[in-house]
Amino acid sequence: MIAVLGLVVGVVAGLLVRPEVPAAVEPYLPIAVVAALDAVFGGLRAMLDGIFDDKVFVVSFLSNVVVAALIVFLGDKLGVGAQLSTGVVVVLGIRIFSNAAAIRRHVFRA
Amino acid sequence: MSDHEQKPGNRLREELPAEVPPAEAPAADAPAGQQPGLTGRQRLVKGLWPPRVTRAQLIVALLLFGLGFGLAVQVASNSDGDSALRGARQEDLVRILDELDDRTQRLEDEKQGLEKQRDELENSSDQAEEARRQTVEKERQLGILAGTVAARGPGITMTIEDTKGTVEANMLLDAIQELRAAGAEAIQVNGVRVVAGTYLEDSGKSVGVDGNKINAPYRFKVIGKPQDLEPALNIPGGVVQTLEKEHATVTVERSSKIVVDALRAVKRPDYARSSSQ
Repeated sequence: MIAVLGLVVGVVAGLLVRPEVPAAVEPYLPIAVVAALDAVFGGLRAMLDGIFDDKVFVVSFLSNVVVAALIVFLGDKLGVGAQLSTGVVVVLGIRIFSNAAAIRRHVFRA
Repeated sequence: MSDHEQKPGNRLREELPAEVPPAEAPAADAPAGQQPGLTGRQRLVKGLWPPRVTRAQLIVALLLFGLGFGLAVQVASNSDGDSALRGARQEDLVRILDELDDRTQRLEDEKQGLEKQRDELENSSDQAEEARRQTVEKERQLGILAGTVAARGPGITMTIEDTKGTVEANMLLDAIQELRAAGAEAIQVNGVRVVAGTYLEDSGKSVGVDGNKINAPYRFKVIGKPQDLEPALNIPGGVVQTLEKEHATVTVERSSKIVVDALRAVKRPDYARSSSQ
């Protein structure tokens, strides 16, 4: 419950504060957000499976974000930033979908 | 990412790679989940409703706060709409910049061309104006010579009193020639303008100037340099002496302001044409 509240509060704060995204971070923020979403879905599924562990969640969340940003950064340096970020988004999207499928089975038994 | 995550032996990561064959998983999941007597749905409800402040909940809340914040910021900055360039990639920006440069260059060229054209037009209209002005000026000057416009300026007045009726046309013509030789620019005699084509003839006691009969006294109004005109008439054996021999009285007066206002109609020549055209 606290976790859901944290998400809601974060969204509201982001909408209210509307900070300027620093130019250096700008290309990585969307990918980082998608990676974090993947981690959250993974965590939700683990919770439904009864194997949730906060330490694992924290580590996977942070490493997901960092690695995703790193890949985009590397891609930008190599000159294939656009293609690599597309690839990352596709991979993360597939994972999100499969996690969502597992969650759906738990929640709706279907 | 999975490499170092598997090292701490975490269960989530071990579980995630197994997403590929999920079909069999739920069947196995359900009995496994029911072992502690809870289904996934029950766990969800249990985790949601009695809000417990545990370390895990707080940490997850913090991370989710970060996620929500980033999400909202990204969405907001993306839908800002005021600049489509926001979030555009570097190469796109470079391309757009190039296009803008090209466009600027083209517009600049066009501007220069138009400015040049404008300058030319202004010049030519200036030239036309100048030519018109010169034409008007020339027309005025020629008009003085041709007698079509009035003239004024310094000059002399010569009056020839002829009580005996001895003055003839050739004497007046001599006087006119003398005046012309002395630089007279505009001459009129008794209200008749003397021009290049003027002719004089004797007609009884009077003299015909261009067909107009004039009688004594003959009053010449001459525009020119008075210091030249008067001596030219008064030279020994000149006009004045010749006339005085014929018992005519001649008075010559200098004046700083002579008005020659007798005019001639503009006559278009019947045969002569300007050869410059």
